[in-house]
Amino acid sequence: EEALPPAPQNISILSTNMKHILTWSPVIIQGETVRYSVEFQGEYERVYANESWIPISECSLITATLCNITEDISATVAYNLRVRADLGARRSEWGTLKGFFNRNTTSLTPPVMKVIADGYHLLVELEDMGPAFQFRVLYWKKGQERRMQQKVVKEVSSVVHLDTMEAGAEYCVKAQSYVEAINRSSSFSQTQCVRAQGDTSMWL
Amino acid sequence: TAGNKILHFGACRVSMSMAEIRAGFTAIKANIQARDSIRTLSILSYPHSLHKVNSSDRCCITHHLFNFYVDKVFKHCRTEDSYVNRKISSIANSFLSMKRKLGQCHEQNQCVCGQESTEKFKQILANYEELNVTSAAMKSLGELDILLDWME
Repeated sequence: EEALPPAPQNISILSTNMKHILTWSPVIIQGETVRYSVEFQGEYERVYANESWIPISECSLITATLCNITEDISATVAYNLRVRADLGARRSEWGTLKGFFNRNTTSLTPPVMKVIADGYHLLVELEDMGPAFQFRVLYWKKGQERRMQQKVVKEVSSVVHLDTMEAGAEYCVKAQSYVEAINRSSSFSQTQCVRAQGDTSMWL
Repeated sequence: TAGNKILHFGACRVSMSMAEIRAGFTAIKANIQARDSIRTLSILSYPHSLHKVNSSDRCCITHHLFNFYVDKVFKHCRTEDSYVNRKISSIANSFLSMKRKLGQCHEQNQCVCGQESTEKFKQILANYEELNVTSAAMKSLGELDILLDWME
């Protein structure tokens, strides 16, 4: 009788900025095409629904060795993930993720940011990182760090107006991303400084 | 943003991903409500709407309702449709997370159960028991927007 394909190994999750990708090592069988299927189990299924598993249809009988599970990991609870290999009619045992995955462990990066001096107006453009994200923007007049100001940006529109600058003065800005659903923030971005038009002698 | 909201239930303040839950429910609402053939009965709104509940009783009845959906409803809503099942799982796990948060406040005795909320919840259970379990569960799931609207 023909042997079953081995269960997929090295199952892990790459989670960055609330995007969660499940990956695993390929099952290599010479001259054959191996297909994979993925299922998930939330804490609800484990505790209240007889430990049932739910298939992810976009990742059923696929040849790739990764699956975007972001849409199904939609609560801040512990999830289980498993993968099996199919070779024609033969089916492997399930390979299961070691330990649980909770989206509150996702790694958060600071937003890509562009600071603009538009005449006397201090503006910032922020990367749209998805619906789960807010941003905390800190800005100050160079040399006056103790008078740093803050703006919380809940919806990323095109450009955010921060302040009206004094002529010729230099202003600095840095930002961090924040995800309310998991109550965590990224580190701050690099500081960027710009200079307002006009020259400082106007104020002397 | 993903629409986390701080909801106030009496002395309890709980942060909830309401937009995520609504998105999950909206995606399957028509499918679920189409499975409910009993139009003459409501689980949550008969005989009185949730909106009639006293604000002092809000916390307790919400606590009861989270337990009701998590313990009784979602597990009997499995369908033949994988997409619907995934969305139900998403809602169920979000409810589990919310139930836990509100439960903590409940345990700190800040979620007082008055006469009215106890009576109201008994009525909801009575409505639920009137039907066979699958019909009752599907109808309760189909009425989720009534609960979400009232909570917000």
